Amino acid sequence: MKKFIAIAAAAMVGAAAQAQETVVWWDFLGGGDGVRMKQMIADFNDAHAGEIVIDGTTLDWGVPFYTKVQTSVAVGEAPDIMTYHASRIPLAVDQGLLQELTPADFDAMGLGQDDFAPSIWDAVSADGKQYGVPIDTHPIVLYYNKDILGEAGLLTDDGLPVGLGSRAEFTATLQALKDNSDVTFPLGSVTADGNFMFRTIYSLMGQQDGELMTDGAFLVGDNATKLENALAVLQEWTNEGLQSTYTDYPATVALFTSGEAVMMINGVWEVPTMVDLEAEGNLFEWGAVELPVIFDHASTYSDSHVFAIPEGNDMSPEKRAAVLEVMSWISKNSLFWATAGHIPANNNITAMDAYKAMEPNATYSSLTANMIYDPKTPMAGVAGPIFDVMSTYFVPTLNGEMEPSEAVEEIIYELNDM
Amino acid sequence: MLRNTKKEWLIAYILIAPFVAIYALIFVYPTIDMFFLSFQDAPLVGAGDFVGIENYERLPRDRRFGTAFWNTAYFVALTVIPGTFVALAISMAVTRLSGRTQALVLALFFLPYILPVSVVFRIWDWALNFQFGIAMHVLDAFGMDRIPVFKTTTWFMPAVAFVTIWWTCGFSVLLFLAGLRAIPQEIYEAAALDNTSRWRMFRHVTWPLLWPITGLVLTIQLILQLKIFDQVYLFSQGGRPNDNLVMVYYIFQRAFVNNQGGRAAAIAVVLFIMVIVISVINFQLTRLSERRK
Repeated sequence: MKKFIAIAAAAMVGAAAQAQETVVWWDFLGGGDGVRMKQMIADFNDAHAGEIVIDGTTLDWGVPFYTKVQTSVAVGEAPDIMTYHASRIPLAVDQGLLQELTPADFDAMGLGQDDFAPSIWDAVSADGKQYGVPIDTHPIVLYYNKDILGEAGLLTDDGLPVGLGSRAEFTATLQALKDNSDVTFPLGSVTADGNFMFRTIYSLMGQQDGELMTDGAFLVGDNATKLENALAVLQEWTNEGLQSTYTDYPATVALFTSGEAVMMINGVWEVPTMVDLEAEGNLFEWGAVELPVIFDHASTYSDSHVFAIPEGNDMSPEKRAAVLEVMSWISKNSLFWATAGHIPANNNITAMDAYKAMEPNATYSSLTANMIYDPKTPMAGVAGPIFDVMSTYFVPTLNGEMEPSEAVEEIIYELNDM
Repeated sequence: MLRNTKKEWLIAYILIAPFVAIYALIFVYPTIDMFFLSFQDAPLVGAGDFVGIENYERLPRDRRFGTAFWNTAYFVALTVIPGTFVALAISMAVTRLSGRTQALVLALFFLPYILPVSVVFRIWDWALNFQFGIAMHVLDAFGMDRIPVFKTTTWFMPAVAFVTIWWTCGFSVLLFLAGLRAIPQEIYEAAALDNTSRWRMFRHVTWPLLWPITGLVLTIQLILQLKIFDQVYLFSQGGRPNDNLVMVYYIFQRAFVNNQGGRAAAIAVVLFIMVIVISVINFQLTRLSERRK
């Protein structure tokens, strides 16, 4: 009898093991936020022990990731689920890389249009169909060193940097920091990487209500002037020695965290880097706030991380159900994702008191009212064609090698030559 | 003994068949396909419509093609002949050493060659980083301005060429050493008896007798450097890739970033023809100068 029970038990364990679905997951989250996502994957696996297990791989962000997605879909070796940028959805749909998520899928996930902001829902839609589940919005913000600003008398009573209201005031703050002889760079700026600077420059265009694309044409009318204005401000900061020149991304973060640069414009995804360094006792008092208003009104470029199911894999209905459960669970538990600096896309999370009390998110959450996104076209998106063309001319301009007006001419020429 | 030639032929065919089959499958067929692809507006994967010579027509007015073409030519000029002479100089010096010292010095010069390109990139990026590189502190110490080596177009190609020579010259040194050892010692002894100066000995003994090796090294370097990609790709990441394009990088960009397989194929065909033409010219020149001696 004992033997029989043992065999039966073994059979049941075997059956359970067979029923367990393995979901192959690719993401591009290599920074401090990647650590948070790995934690979420582990939590998911614990909560679904014996049912679903996520087999996650983190790939290189940007061109390498999207190149690999294309080729893997083409040869039928795509993952079951992947992270994607909302800005790249038009291009992905054009290339036939994504499976549609039907209304039935959303019902199964217990999610729907009402759970997301209209702009975010719109960003994952194409031709009236949905191609992704938004996880977050991730704008850029201004990081600042409270210790140095405080010593220089450049902090307001609320603990924010002085001079966020206009170009003249902000430049004056930078100048004051420069005159304080201890400071190497008032502003750490990713001036060697045009791809990164797209975010800052597009935000500055948004502050003048500039449009990159109007009815399918690039930089129509005075939009070219608005781009030139944006470039001129940044070049002025370089010429006056107010920001770091020829600085690549890792060096910019290092300049800020080592205290050599007092402020830094960077994505909210660097929040966990600061939080972790501070927890180890290796960082000064710091803060993050909405970008300064350099032109007419506040405006910040933003993009969204999205979950998508790639084409190019024949998944069973059970596997697909498991993938939907992954997306649903992460969306509903994305309060933890907010500790990675991101603003959760799920409205029910941002409505929570626990979220509203979270710092530094609460300081910069005012910007959600002023966010702008990429134009909706297959040309746009992170590491996409527009990004690529414009970035080429940003580096020489921001480091004083090229005049802003010349850069704008070249950008228009090359955008029209794509 | 009478030989059964027919049978020998048959065996020969059977023996080379696997090679021919694999060569045809992974080289000849894709090459032919590439020519066809270059006349289509195909994406990265899958077929496209036939568009005639449009993909070629747009190359002369395509700025990035121009950048890639001239950067490749510049890089070849910076590496092929200088790299060969550096290797020759090192091997001339190493050959005068003997025993363990020679083995040790040779190993030191060969060491970079065994490094993967990613490690080479890490080492030099770390050394020459504008903000944190150790070389910049040396410049600071001499009171000179720092140079953003991999971030300006002025410095990028020379710096990558320097790194490439540092990385790959170990192999050329080995070839030259073998060549130097093959020169009979008696010739040097005879020359020494005639009281020949060092320079004349090099000019009239070493250089002509080493010429076949020099020609070989030049040819290998030329073909290798025309196909430059890895270093340029790595050093321009997170910087300004479009200003530092080289031919293979541009093919990669068109195909994998812009999803334009047809246009990428057209550039690949141009590079293919360039490599063939330049190699033939190089080979003929080497032969000619050999004959003149």
